[in-house]
Amino acid sequence: MTSLLVVGAGLTGLFAAVLAARRGASVTVVARGRGNLELSHGCIDVWKADPPLAQTINHLPDTHPYALAGFEALEAALAAFCQITTEADYPFTAGPEDSLLLPTALGTIHVTAYAPLSLAQGHMADKTPFVLAGLSGFRDFYPALAASSLKRAGLPVEGTVELPVPGAPLRRDGYATDLAYLFDRPASRQQIARVWKPLLAGAKRVGLPAVLGLRQSSAVFLEMQERLGLPLFEIPTLPPSVPGLRLERILRRTALNAGVQIVEGVPAVGQAGEGSRVRGVVVESAGRSRFHEAGAVLLATGDVLGGGLETTPDGRVRETVFDLPVLHDGDRARWINPALLDEQPFERFGLRVDRHMRPLGMDGTTVYDNLYAAGSLLAGADRINEGSRQGIALVTAFCAVEAVLG
Amino acid sequence: MIQPNLTADLCLKCNICTAACPVAAATDLFPGPKAVGPQAERYRHPRLPLPDASVMWCSACGVCSRVCPHDVKVAEINTQAKARLVEERGAPLRDRLISNTELIGRLGTPLAPIANLSLRTRPVRWIMEKTIGIHREAPMPAYAGSTFRARMRRYCVEKPPEQNDASRVTVAFFHGCSTNYYEHELGRITIAVLEKLGCRVILPPQTCCGLAMQSNSLFEDARRQAQQNVALLLPFAEAGIPIVGTSTSCLLTMKYDYQATLGLSGREVELVAAQTFDVFEFITTRLRETLDGLTFEPLASRAIYHASCKLRSHDVGVPTLPVLRRIPQLEVTLSEAECCGGAGTYGMKREKYDVARQVGSPLFEQAREWGADFVISESETCRWWIAKHTRLPALHPIGVLYRAMK
Repeated sequence: MTSLLVVGAGLTGLFAAVLAARRGASVTVVARGRGNLELSHGCIDVWKADPPLAQTINHLPDTHPYALAGFEALEAALAAFCQITTEADYPFTAGPEDSLLLPTALGTIHVTAYAPLSLAQGHMADKTPFVLAGLSGFRDFYPALAASSLKRAGLPVEGTVELPVPGAPLRRDGYATDLAYLFDRPASRQQIARVWKPLLAGAKRVGLPAVLGLRQSSAVFLEMQERLGLPLFEIPTLPPSVPGLRLERILRRTALNAGVQIVEGVPAVGQAGEGSRVRGVVVESAGRSRFHEAGAVLLATGDVLGGGLETTPDGRVRETVFDLPVLHDGDRARWINPALLDEQPFERFGLRVDRHMRPLGMDGTTVYDNLYAAGSLLAGADRINEGSRQGIALVTAFCAVEAVLG
Repeated sequence: MIQPNLTADLCLKCNICTAACPVAAATDLFPGPKAVGPQAERYRHPRLPLPDASVMWCSACGVCSRVCPHDVKVAEINTQAKARLVEERGAPLRDRLISNTELIGRLGTPLAPIANLSLRTRPVRWIMEKTIGIHREAPMPAYAGSTFRARMRRYCVEKPPEQNDASRVTVAFFHGCSTNYYEHELGRITIAVLEKLGCRVILPPQTCCGLAMQSNSLFEDARRQAQQNVALLLPFAEAGIPIVGTSTSCLLTMKYDYQATLGLSGREVELVAAQTFDVFEFITTRLRETLDGLTFEPLASRAIYHASCKLRSHDVGVPTLPVLRRIPQLEVTLSEAECCGGAGTYGMKREKYDVARQVGSPLFEQAREWGADFVISESETCRWWIAKHTRLPALHPIGVLYRAMK
C-alpha cells in the first residue's frame, strides 16, 4: 500500500511527491497527463499585491490559503523548493527587494518572487540598457512588440535585432522546444554563438526568447553568455514553454529518483472507505480498472483548466475525484466580471480546507480524516491579481505533506 | 467503446504532447502529434482523400496520449489516420513482409544457420536495403533454430487444466513471436521465475498478437490476427487464468489496442484484455507477498533502466523499478529518453533509421556517459535496438531478477 497517493502531476503534485518521498514515504502519483507547469512561465509567483505579504498575511480572510498555511510554512516551502532546483543545477534566485520585475513576450512586466537565473537577469530594476533579439523563423516572439511596450514604460530598450539560428528547423513551424533541443548540443551552441557575436556587437545586455536549452539549462545559459561576452536574459514564450518544461522535468525526475511511482495518462475516481476515511482511488488503466490503495490521498488536480473542477451549464461546480463540496456561486451569471482584467469571481471558487489542508464540508468540518487538497484546487485566492499561484501551490503542498507525515 | 477521433474536440492545442514527442524532437519532417492528430483530424473528410501524409513519421510510441491532460487519444488518432492513408495509397511490400512476424519466424526457423549468417552478411543486407528498403544497419535477432513451444512441449496445453490446485496460481504464459523463434532463454527464465514464485505455468495455444501489422497500418491483417489470438486465449481467460508475458508491447496490444485502435468489441476481446498482464505488473500485484519475502543475491554492476514506451502505456507506473532497486549492489539509473527510437519495425525502415537513431540518442549518450555495464528494458525490439546502438547487453528485467534470485 502507498502511504501517500497524490492525484495530479503539476507543480503542487510533483513538489508534494518529492517532499514526501524524501522523508521516506512510499508515494504514488496518479495523473491524467502532464501538468500545466508546461504551460507556465516557470517562475514562482508569491505575492505581487501591495503591501507585501509579510504585512498582509494576518489581514487576509481566514479562508485564504496563505492565511491557513502561515508565513513560516511559506518560507520553509520556498526554501525546500529552492533546494531541489539548486541540487538539479537549475538555481532559482529572488530579487534584491523580494520582487523580480521581468519582461514578458508582450512587453508587460511580470512581478515574481523567484526565477531561474536566466530569467532573473532580466530584472527591470537593473538600468543597464538592453537590446531585444528575435530568432529568425520563430513566430512566438516578436521583439518589436515587446520593445515598444517596454519603451513606453520608460525602460532602457536600445532596439531590436534578428538573429539567425543555424540548424533551426525550416520544413515546418518551429516551437520553442525545437530551438531548445539545438542549444542542448555543444556543437550547435558553438556555431550559433559564432554567428551571433558580430550581430550583437555594441549591445550591453540582450533579452531573447527562453530557448537556451532544456536539459542542462543553467550551464548552457552561462556558456552562451561567456561565448557572446555579454549579459543575457531569457523571456518565456507561448506553450510549450521552455522554462515551464525545465521545471517540470526537474521535479518529475527528482520524484522518480526519490522512488515515487508516477502513473501518467489516467483520470482517477476516488473511493471512500468506512466512516470518515478514504481508501484510495480507482484508475482506468489499459485492460482493466485498477485500485490504488493509500494511507492518505492528496488532491493536486488544479482548477477548471487542470481538471480538478468541472462546471455545469446549470451553475454547479463539481470536484472531479471525490465529488467534494465546492465553494462557488450558484448563479452562473455572477461568475464572470465583464471587466476582463479585474478580479473574476470564479477565481475564488474551489475547496475550503482546514490548516492541515483537509477539505471541509459546507458545515465547516473535515469531510475525511486522511484526504488532503492543495494548489489551484483550493478556494479563497485571486491568484492572478495577487500574483500568488505558485506560492500557494508550494506552501499548501508543503503543509499537506507535513500533516500526512506528522 | 473508445472512439479516438471524437476525442480530438477535447484538444486545447496546449502542445504538451508536442513537447514530449521524441520524433518531433528528432526531425522537422514530423510536425508533431498535435499537428498531425487532433489538429489535422479536421481535414480528414470521411469520403475525400487525405490531404497530407506527414503523420506517417509517427512511430506510435504512445507518449502523446499518456501525457495529454485532456484525455485526447492522440496516438490512437494518428495510428488510425496512418491506416486510412495506407488503405488509400497502399503499403510497400516491405511493410507487408516485416509485419508478418509469424511467417518470418516460421520460414527462418528451419533455415536458421543460413538465415542467421545471411542476415549478418554485408552484401546481403545491402541488397535487402536496395531492393525492399530494410536498413542495412537495422538489428536483426538470431533464429534459435527451433520453436520455444517445441522445446517446452511438456508445458503446452490445448485447453485450461481441469483440476485446480488452490495452493498454486496457474499462469498462462504468452511468449509471443520473439520468444518462440529467437529468445528461448528469456522464456525459460520467465517460467523459472514464475515457478520460483509458486506458480504453475502453462503454455496456451496462441498466435502473433498483430501489433507489427497494426504499426504498419495493415489493420485488416491485424484484426484477423487479433481475432485468432482472442479465440485461442479465450478459454483460459474464461477460466480466470491470468495471461502473463514478457513481450510488453504484445500484451498492451491485447489489453488495449484490439479495442481502442483496431476497433474490435465484444465480450471475448474484453475478457482476454482483462486477464492480460505484463510480467512485472503481475508479480508485483498478484504475487506481491511472495516477492516481498525474497532475498536477492548481490549483482555488482551499473545498469540503465529504460522503461519501454509500451510498458508505460499499460498505465501501471513502472512496477519494475522498485524490484530492481531491491537487488544489492545493482546501481540502477533511469533513462532520460522518452523512447529508444526503435519502436518495433519503425527503425528497420531505410527512410526512418536515422530519425529512429536520433530519437534514442539521449539514451545512448547517457549509457556511455554513465558507464553502464548493461541496459534493462522490456520490449524485445527496444532491447535489440538499444544493444545495437550502445554496444551493451540489453536485458529484460526478468533476466536481471532471475540472476539475483539464484
